[in-house]
Amino acid sequence: MSLDIRPTLSALLRNRTGAVLVAAQVAIALAVLANAAYIVVQRIEKINRPTGIDEQNILVIESEGFTGRFHQTTSVQEDLAYLRGVSGVIAATATNSVPLSDGGDNDSLVTRPDEPRHGYINDIEIDEQGLDTLGVKLVAGRNFRHEEIQPPRTKTDISHFVPVIIVSRELGEYLFPHQNPLGKQVWDVLNHAATIVGVVDPVMGTFPHGDYPGRVFFLPRLPDEFIGVRYLVRTRPGQRDTVARLIEAQLVTSNPDRVINYVRPLTYFKNLSYLGDSSMEIFLLTVTALVIAVTALGVFALATFNVSTRTKQIGTRRAVGARRRDIVRYFLIENGLIMSGGVLTGCALALAAGYWLSVHYALPRLDLYYLVAGVLALWGIGQLAAWQPARRAAAVPPSVATRTV
Amino acid sequence: MFGYYLRLALKSFGRNPGITALMVIAIALGIAVCVMTLTVYHAMSGNPIWWKNDRLYAVTMDNWDPLRRLMPNLDLPPFEMTYKDTQFLLASNIPLRKVVMYSTLGVISGVGTEPPAQVATRVTTADFFAMFEVPFRYGNGWSAGADKPAQPVIVLSRAENDKLFGGANSVGRTLRWNDREFRVIGVLSDWFPRPRYYDLNGSGSFQPPDAAYIPYGWGTDLQLLNQEENDCWRPEKLDTYRDYEASDCVWQQMWVELPDAASRERFQSFMDGYWAEQRHAGRFPRPKDNRLTDVAQWLRDNRVVDNDNRVLVGLAFAFLALCLINTVGLLLAKFLNGAAVTGIRRALGASRRQIFAQLLIEVGLLSVLGALLGLALAALGLIAVHHLYAAAHLGERGGYQELTHFDVVGVVWAVILAVAATLAAGLYPAWRIGRLAPAVYLKSQ
Repeated sequence: MSLDIRPTLSALLRNRTGAVLVAAQVAIALAVLANAAYIVVQRIEKINRPTGIDEQNILVIESEGFTGRFHQTTSVQEDLAYLRGVSGVIAATATNSVPLSDGGDNDSLVTRPDEPRHGYINDIEIDEQGLDTLGVKLVAGRNFRHEEIQPPRTKTDISHFVPVIIVSRELGEYLFPHQNPLGKQVWDVLNHAATIVGVVDPVMGTFPHGDYPGRVFFLPRLPDEFIGVRYLVRTRPGQRDTVARLIEAQLVTSNPDRVINYVRPLTYFKNLSYLGDSSMEIFLLTVTALVIAVTALGVFALATFNVSTRTKQIGTRRAVGARRRDIVRYFLIENGLIMSGGVLTGCALALAAGYWLSVHYALPRLDLYYLVAGVLALWGIGQLAAWQPARRAAAVPPSVATRTV
Repeated sequence: MFGYYLRLALKSFGRNPGITALMVIAIALGIAVCVMTLTVYHAMSGNPIWWKNDRLYAVTMDNWDPLRRLMPNLDLPPFEMTYKDTQFLLASNIPLRKVVMYSTLGVISGVGTEPPAQVATRVTTADFFAMFEVPFRYGNGWSAGADKPAQPVIVLSRAENDKLFGGANSVGRTLRWNDREFRVIGVLSDWFPRPRYYDLNGSGSFQPPDAAYIPYGWGTDLQLLNQEENDCWRPEKLDTYRDYEASDCVWQQMWVELPDAASRERFQSFMDGYWAEQRHAGRFPRPKDNRLTDVAQWLRDNRVVDNDNRVLVGLAFAFLALCLINTVGLLLAKFLNGAAVTGIRRALGASRRQIFAQLLIEVGLLSVLGALLGLALAALGLIAVHHLYAAAHLGERGGYQELTHFDVVGVVWAVILAVAATLAAGLYPAWRIGRLAPAVYLKSQ
C-alpha cells in the first residue's frame, strides 16, 4: 500500500508558508517541552529525596529568654519535662537548628589533629531523645546517653566540644572511606577530639541545597544561649496540630522571662526552603501546558484553513473515486510530514537549548529520553489536532466539485 | 484615512470572530508570560540606590584560611569582616561616612499591654541612616557620640511603631529592649529596599529591613552576636566574647561613602597599609585582596539574581516567539480568506501601499487588544504568584513575594512587546497580501 507521500509532499512544497510556520511552532514547542520536563523532574526528585525524618509529625518551637533572670539550662529542663508529658507526644529534644530549614551550623571535622581542612560539615545539637524525635534510624553503634549531654555553650565558654558524636552514614564514608567509622576519633576546628559512637542512615541535615546535604553529625549538647533555643517535638500521626495549639498556649505563659517566637510544623520550614524549586516547577508546568495548547491550536488552524481552501479539490477527488478515508489519510499524511519537519528541527533546537542551559546555568545536560518522549508526545498531539479538520474534509460531498461557486 | 482603516479592521474582525479571538489570546498569553517574568526579574536585578553607585562601597578584606576559600565556588573574600579590622578602619577620617553593623535579635517589652516579642535589631554606627538615605517619619537617628559610650536610644521601623504605639509619634517614649530601658528617638517611614543590598546575609536577599536600630556600642556592652552569618576558620582560643572580638571570625558588615576617586584611592591605600602591617604580624595568610565594591558589583558578587529566574525569562521569550509565529500563521490564513475583498479594493484603485497600511493597522489593533488582555493576565498571574509565596511564608514579609508587584516597568514592557509583536507578526502577511495580483481573486468568484 502506498502512503502517497510524494504527491502530498509536492503539494506541500508548492504552498509552504503555512507549513513552515507550523513546523517552526512545533520545533520551539519541542525545545521548551523537553527541557522544561527535564528540569521539572529534577526538581521533583530533589524535593522528594529521602530525609530519614518524620517530616509530617514534627513541630518546631523557638523560645528566647530576654531578662537577667532567665536561666537557659533550667528553662530547657522545665520545657522538655512538660513537652514529653503532653499526650500525643512521642519524643522531644532541644536543638540549635531546624532540619531542612536551609540555616544552621557547620564545623569542620578531620581524622587526624592538625590535618588541613577542606570543607564544612553540618552539625546539629540534640539530646538523648533527638534521634527518636527526628525518626532517623541508627544503623550501627548506639544512641547518646543522658549523662553524655553537655551543658550549653555560654558567652564565657564558647568553644567547648563534646566527647562523643553520631554521624550520618554518608559522613562516615566521607571521613573513613571503606572503613567502619564506629569508635574512630575525629577532631573539630579547634582540635578537640570526639569519638564516633553511632551511625544513622538515611538523614538530611539543615542545608538541603548544599553539595552534600547528607553529611551531618549530631552533638550531645544543649543548645547555646546566643540565639533562642529550638525544641523539636514529634507527635503521633494526625495529632500534630492539636498538640501545637495545646503547647503554644502553655509555653507562652509558663515563663515570663522568655518569649515563644513560634510553634510551627517542620513542613513549614521544608516548604519554605524548597519554595524556589516548587514555584519553578509550577511556572514551568504552566508555560509548557500553554506551549502545547498554542501549538495544537496552530496545527488545528492550519489544517482547517487547508481544508476550507481545498473544498473544490476534495470534491473533485471524491467525484473521481477517492473514499472518505483516502481524504482523511491525505490530510493526516500532510500534517504528519509537517510535524516530522518540526520535530526534526525541534530536536536540534532542544539539544542546543539544553547545552546552553548546562553551560551557562550549571544545569545537567538534557537527558535524551526526554527528547524522545517529547517527540512522540508532540507528534501525537499534532495528529490529534489535525484529526477533526481531516474528518470535516472527508465529509465534503463529491457534488461540490460540479458546482461552479 | 486612519479612522476608515480602523473601521475596516473592526469589520474584518467581525467576519472571523473565532480566529480573531485566537490571535488576541495568543498575543496576550505571550505578552503576559513575558511581563510576569520580566517584572520579577526587574525587581530582582534592581539597584535600590543607583544614584550613589559611585560613592557607596562595601569593604571586605581576605583574612581567610590559606588552604581554602570561605565560599569555595566564588573567587571572593568573605562578605563580612572581623571585629578588630572594622575597628581599625572605623578610626579613619577619609570616608565621608562609614558604617559598621550587623543584625541581632532582641525582645521588645514594656509597652502598654503589648506582649513581649522578638524583633530583628540592627546594631549599627550612627551614619547608617544618612549613608543609606533612610527616610524618617518622626525624629531622627543618633549622632556618632551616642555610639560609644552607647546611649540607650532606639529607632523603630514604621511597622514596629504601628504595632507598639498605634502609629503615633513615639519619639521620647520608652520601651524595654532585652529588658533594658531604651528611649525612642526616631521612627522610619516606609522603607523596603529590594534587594536588601546593605545586608544580603541571612534568609535571602529580599528580607524586610530590621524592625529596630540601636547604637553600635551596645554590641560589646551587651555581648550581642550576629544572628545571620558568622564564620570562623582559625583554630584559636574562643572562650569568651572578648576572644571572639579578637578572633579571625567574620561577622561585621562594613560600608563606606567615598565622594570621589581621590578619597577612594586614599582609603584603598589606607586599607592596604593596614593589611601589610598585619601580615607582617602574622595575619592575612592569603594573597592581598582588599576590596571596595560598589553596590551594582556587590549585588552581582552576592548572586542576587538566581539562575532560575534567568531561565524563566528565556523561556518566556521562547513562548512569546511561539505565540507570534502562531499569529503570523493565523493572520496569513485570515488575509488569504479575505483576498477577494482585497482584490476588489485593488481593482477599484487602492494602491499596494494603502492595502499594506490598512492591513498593518488591523494587525496593530490586534496587538493592542492582545497587549491589554496580556497586561490584565500578567497582573492576575502576579497576584496568584504573590499568594503562592505569601501562603508559604504564613503571612510574614520577605522572600520572592516582595518581587511580584505589578509596576510601571511591566506596562512599559507590555507596550514594547506589543509593538514588537505587531511588527513581527504583521509585516509579512500584510506585505504578502498586498502583492497578490487582484485579477486572480476576482476571477475565481
